[in-house]
Amino acid sequence: MVKYNFFSSDTEKVIAFMGKEALINALRQMLSIRHFELRGEAAYSQGKVGGFYHSYMGQEAIQTACIAACGSSHWFTTTYRCHALALLLGASLNELMAELYGRSTGNAGGHGGSMHMYTDRMLGGLAIVGGHVPIATGAAFSIQYLEQVGLASFCFLGDGAVVQGAVHESLNLASLWNLPLICVIENNQWGMGTAVERAVCVQPIAENLAKSYGIKSYTLDGMDFFNCYAGFQSILQECLTTKRPVLVEVVTERFRGHSISDPAVYRTKEDLQKTMKKDPIEHVKQELIKRNFLSEEEYKMMDKEIRDSVIASMKFADESPWPDPMTLEEGVFAPEEME
Amino acid sequence: MGKQIIEIREALRQAIDEEMTRDSKVFVIGEEVAEYNGAYKVTKGMLDKWGPKRIIDTPIAENGFAGLAIGAAQTGLRPIVEFMSWNFSFVAADQLISNACKAYYMSNGRFQVPIVFRGPNGAAAQVSCQHSHCVESLYGNLPGFIVIAPSNAYDAKGLLKSAIRSNNPVIFLENELDYSDKMEIPTEEYTVPIGKAKVIQEGTSVTLISYSRMLKFCREAADELTKKGISVEIIDLRTVKPLDIATIATSVRKTHRCVLVEEGHVFSGISAELGFQIQQHCFDDLDAPLIRVCQRETPLPYAKNLEKESIPNKERILAALIEVLR
Repeated sequence: MVKYNFFSSDTEKVIAFMGKEALINALRQMLSIRHFELRGEAAYSQGKVGGFYHSYMGQEAIQTACIAACGSSHWFTTTYRCHALALLLGASLNELMAELYGRSTGNAGGHGGSMHMYTDRMLGGLAIVGGHVPIATGAAFSIQYLEQVGLASFCFLGDGAVVQGAVHESLNLASLWNLPLICVIENNQWGMGTAVERAVCVQPIAENLAKSYGIKSYTLDGMDFFNCYAGFQSILQECLTTKRPVLVEVVTERFRGHSISDPAVYRTKEDLQKTMKKDPIEHVKQELIKRNFLSEEEYKMMDKEIRDSVIASMKFADESPWPDPMTLEEGVFAPEEME
Repeated sequence: MGKQIIEIREALRQAIDEEMTRDSKVFVIGEEVAEYNGAYKVTKGMLDKWGPKRIIDTPIAENGFAGLAIGAAQTGLRPIVEFMSWNFSFVAADQLISNACKAYYMSNGRFQVPIVFRGPNGAAAQVSCQHSHCVESLYGNLPGFIVIAPSNAYDAKGLLKSAIRSNNPVIFLENELDYSDKMEIPTEEYTVPIGKAKVIQEGTSVTLISYSRMLKFCREAADELTKKGISVEIIDLRTVKPLDIATIATSVRKTHRCVLVEEGHVFSGISAELGFQIQQHCFDDLDAPLIRVCQRETPLPYAKNLEKESIPNKERILAALIEVLR
């Protein structure tokens, strides 16, 4: 077992700081992600969605807490497991579902699919493992070059990516040039079917790796929304005040296989059950019910309302037109300014 | 109109300098571009003028700095990335191939990538197998890239200025052996449009098409034929992609014969594409099969005589011209 030194946080303080409304909103967002992934997978099974499908189920607390604590004005970049981040940054259920369906109304007009989703502050949805980290480092470079105050570039990557050369080169450059880059390693224990200890030579990852670049690191409990919230809030402040990059490891575990086509036979049923007992949504729900911020009845209503809007988004996607083949070769090049 | 006689490296430097003056978001990033003044002195004196914020030395980490520059381009800046050799771009291939040329289409137009990757391409003086590859057919195979390869100081300056102003990723190919080539060009500002080939010598008997350094050998071979009273039309592509097929087809329809010269390898090369498009547009106009003169199918060897034998030269081009005219 890896011995992690988790960021120390006080759930009571986070709850008092956030307040009832923000907490319920966070729970709502986590539920939206959960229902979106459940229905996306269902649509995939019905043949409505093609390609690869990587579910964020089990990891919802991390990005939800990050956006709740840090706001959505920064730059964000993530991996092919990208539906949640797009949703959290303001993309609608309809446009995301329509993108899965490959329709013209989709988030990327049917050009991207499940692995490539965007918002005005989200550079992707990029699907080469580790290859998106230099891009996020470039966004941090722009913030510094343009002297934009109060902004950072967040980059989410998996445990499988940390052994890629691109990650090393990015962290070296970010530290060398004091870039406001916050690299968040979501350690979900598996790089596809390879357990993290079979891929990464030293653990905990962030704590050890950060030393090589002379940067600070923090480890968060990805199953605990409150720990993530307190952690990200403090990490952003540290990045902005020290003007230094920060490396974060969030320990989590996905509920699904690597992708929908992965039955995850490498993980025992017992282990999965144990993981699913730590459901981050259930955790937030219980904390809110305990404080009378929410009743079981209200939760059920909220759950149903979200499920209904996700189902409605499937209908929207299904009824949306396919991209017009006449437009196939349009949009390869950006328009040029006329002289 | 003022005139100046300058080297290609100075023409490139002027282009960068003028565009940096025009737009504060333009900056240069690469290995040895600042304190060392550039491996081939294209950026000489620029650190002193612009400072380290805009003339940026990087560690030897092509994948990292190329990707960083692409991310910067997507978030509001206009980077000029220098590769000390285009052969080092292979270390950054993932960033160029999976991000630079795809981001705009993949994001359905949300993120533009206004970036120029520039540096010396192809063979130099005996730099051997790992430093001599021509990259235009590799990057030309990727939708989303503009590929430019000027052959003289005038075009180098005008095209680099257009490349920097472009909202798309540009592969800008220079030549180490040509940096010192001099030419008289205007002192006043000008640009050369992307995507326009140029007839650099008019002729009636055969069309000779090439770009970049190989045009020198093309001219030498054509001069030999001129002495014999045969007139050769020479086209400088200037932009490899998008290809100016109109200028090419007009010429081939006039001469009915064509030789294609390319420094890169014969298999899947630019001239393979050119040849295909010519037969598509000019099938009924051709009086002879097209002939290609390209680099032979080996990694480029070190030994001087082998290197010379592998790359197109005056003799091979002349032989091809004579054959196509038979």
